[in-house]
Amino acid sequence: MLEIKDLKASTGDTPILNGLSLSVKAGEVHAIMGPNGSGKSTLAQVIAGHEDYAVTSGSVTYKGQDLLELEPEERAREGIFLGFQYPVEIPGVNNAYLLKAALNAKRRHHGQDEVDAFEFLKLAKEKMALLGMDPKFLNRGVNEGFSGGEKKRNEILQMAMLEPELAILDETDSGLDIDALKAVAQGVNALRSPDRAIVLVTHYQRLLDYVEPDVVHVLSGGKILRSGDKSLALELEEKGYDWVREAATA
Amino acid sequence: MTATSFPDKALATAVRELPDNALAANRQAALARFLERGFPTTRLEDWKYTDLSAVADISQRWLENGAPMPSAAAVDDRIAEIRGAIDIDWIIICNGAIRHGREGFSNAGPSIATFSELAHVPGFDHPLADLNAALLPDGLHIRVGANTTHERPLGLLVVDGADSQPGVTQTRIRIELEEGAQAQFVEYHTSIGDSDHYANSIVELSLAAGAAADYVRIQSRDRNHTQTHRTAIRLEASSTVRYSGFDLGGRLVRNDLDIDIAGKEVAALVGGLYIADDGQHIDNHIRIDHRVGPARSIQEYRGILGGRCRCVWNGKALVQAGADGTDAEQSNHNLLLNDRAEIDAKPELEIYADEVKCSHGTTVGQLDDAALFYLRSRGLDRQAAKRMLTRAFGASIVSRSPIAIAADHLSEMVEQRLSRLTDGDEA
Repeated sequence: MLEIKDLKASTGDTPILNGLSLSVKAGEVHAIMGPNGSGKSTLAQVIAGHEDYAVTSGSVTYKGQDLLELEPEERAREGIFLGFQYPVEIPGVNNAYLLKAALNAKRRHHGQDEVDAFEFLKLAKEKMALLGMDPKFLNRGVNEGFSGGEKKRNEILQMAMLEPELAILDETDSGLDIDALKAVAQGVNALRSPDRAIVLVTHYQRLLDYVEPDVVHVLSGGKILRSGDKSLALELEEKGYDWVREAATA
Repeated sequence: MTATSFPDKALATAVRELPDNALAANRQAALARFLERGFPTTRLEDWKYTDLSAVADISQRWLENGAPMPSAAAVDDRIAEIRGAIDIDWIIICNGAIRHGREGFSNAGPSIATFSELAHVPGFDHPLADLNAALLPDGLHIRVGANTTHERPLGLLVVDGADSQPGVTQTRIRIELEEGAQAQFVEYHTSIGDSDHYANSIVELSLAAGAAADYVRIQSRDRNHTQTHRTAIRLEASSTVRYSGFDLGGRLVRNDLDIDIAGKEVAALVGGLYIADDGQHIDNHIRIDHRVGPARSIQEYRGILGGRCRCVWNGKALVQAGADGTDAEQSNHNLLLNDRAEIDAKPELEIYADEVKCSHGTTVGQLDDAALFYLRSRGLDRQAAKRMLTRAFGASIVSRSPIAIAADHLSEMVEQRLSRLTDGDEA
């Protein structure tokens, strides 16, 4: 589904990704772990199409097409979803309004009819119940005055509504209490299917207790240093990131 | 000596040709005062950014060609359209002529009369008020009796324009709320016809002790219209006014809102939204005079500017000596959609009292890139995302507009205005 080859990317004059390669197949859950500043968030932003990052070499292929050619909105409509590390507060834009606009933009792109207000409300309430979200959040401004945990749940709600084929969750677990973490994990697990791929970008192993990854990667200095199964995450938790770095340079 | 010359004789003739009613003597006196002072010029600090010389030009052409009226059918269509959009009782003022037939009014509302019927013309000291008084066919006087509450808002529909010739019209409205009275008003300015037009209006709103008024002013004039508009609000003890002004049209627009806080425990909550693009100039001057404390005032204005346009916002809170316990807030935020738009934003606080709480904040900025990317990452194209953020910027003012029955129409108008604005303004 996603093939990244020798990707180099920078912001301004600062190189951040230094020849990163990654292959994610449908049905898989990948965890990308790494210390602060290793390039985890940059990778997520580059896949989503953020203009602050310039790709200087390498390729990203998604479902057989050159992803880097697509605008951010085209990527979203083609099934890519980025759960933001810091979801943006947008006062004055109603949460339900954005959800509906996003859902319909995707449906139009795929030649489907737009959802009507009743269908939409039914669907949104269903997904919110799954995430333990109060329906009143639908009528608030997007992330406006939400707590950290509420913002992250709202990201998962958007993901649940849009049913992406490739979901990248950027530190969705950071700053969550245990209830919110479980709710987020439940939302992610509900999305698991043979047709979808999920990439969890995380600093800690904690989320992986609830969402079991097929593959774990360790990212450092803008490159993947090591890949393995879920036991790699436990080993990292125990030995720290220096262990991987030392092993890589040895 | 004034910067804008004026054909005095023609003006005097125009004044003489007005209906011979109780206003006649007052017109002559006002004419003399106006001829002496003339239009305000840009040499005055208050008029630094707004040049009225185009007004003198329209006036001159109007004086040469006589006073035209728009087609009656077009006026009737417009009235029907606005009645359909906001279902309240409307008093129509078309090119200064007042129609206040009570037929069709749903219930016994406020007392309504003209200045000529009352044989009384309230004074008002300002050069543009002199021009107004000199050329005024008649004024409208509305009174809401003591301790009465009118749930249903009263509409004041100002329809100006002409089909073939430049026009100049004057509108004057005085509204009094007696002690403990409560009422709501929608003042709506609209244009008819394709000719250049200058509309000059004066509105006074006077609230006696304990009275409360909600007021919405909507200006959606055509691009060939110039407006100077002055609202003076006087607030006595424990009275409250909530006022929102929306400027969605016009070529050259100058609004003055003067609020006189004359008693304790007054609340004046005023706000507005102006939206401008190519060729427009919209100037809002607000002055709140805290003569007595404790009292509270809030000014909350936003502007959305696209294309080559200029807007001016000048909000002043004056706290007089002894007006202790004054709480005055001002905010003015502007969204510039490109680099050809220009805003002169000036909040002013002038404080002579000791115990006061005053604050002001002004911002001028573009759409937030992080928010734009967030929306695009959800599948909205750049244009739709920009429109959504621009609408959200104005929404906080629209949603605080105090009259519920006008809210839907107002949202729709703002939406239509913004869709034209953003569409024509792709970066």
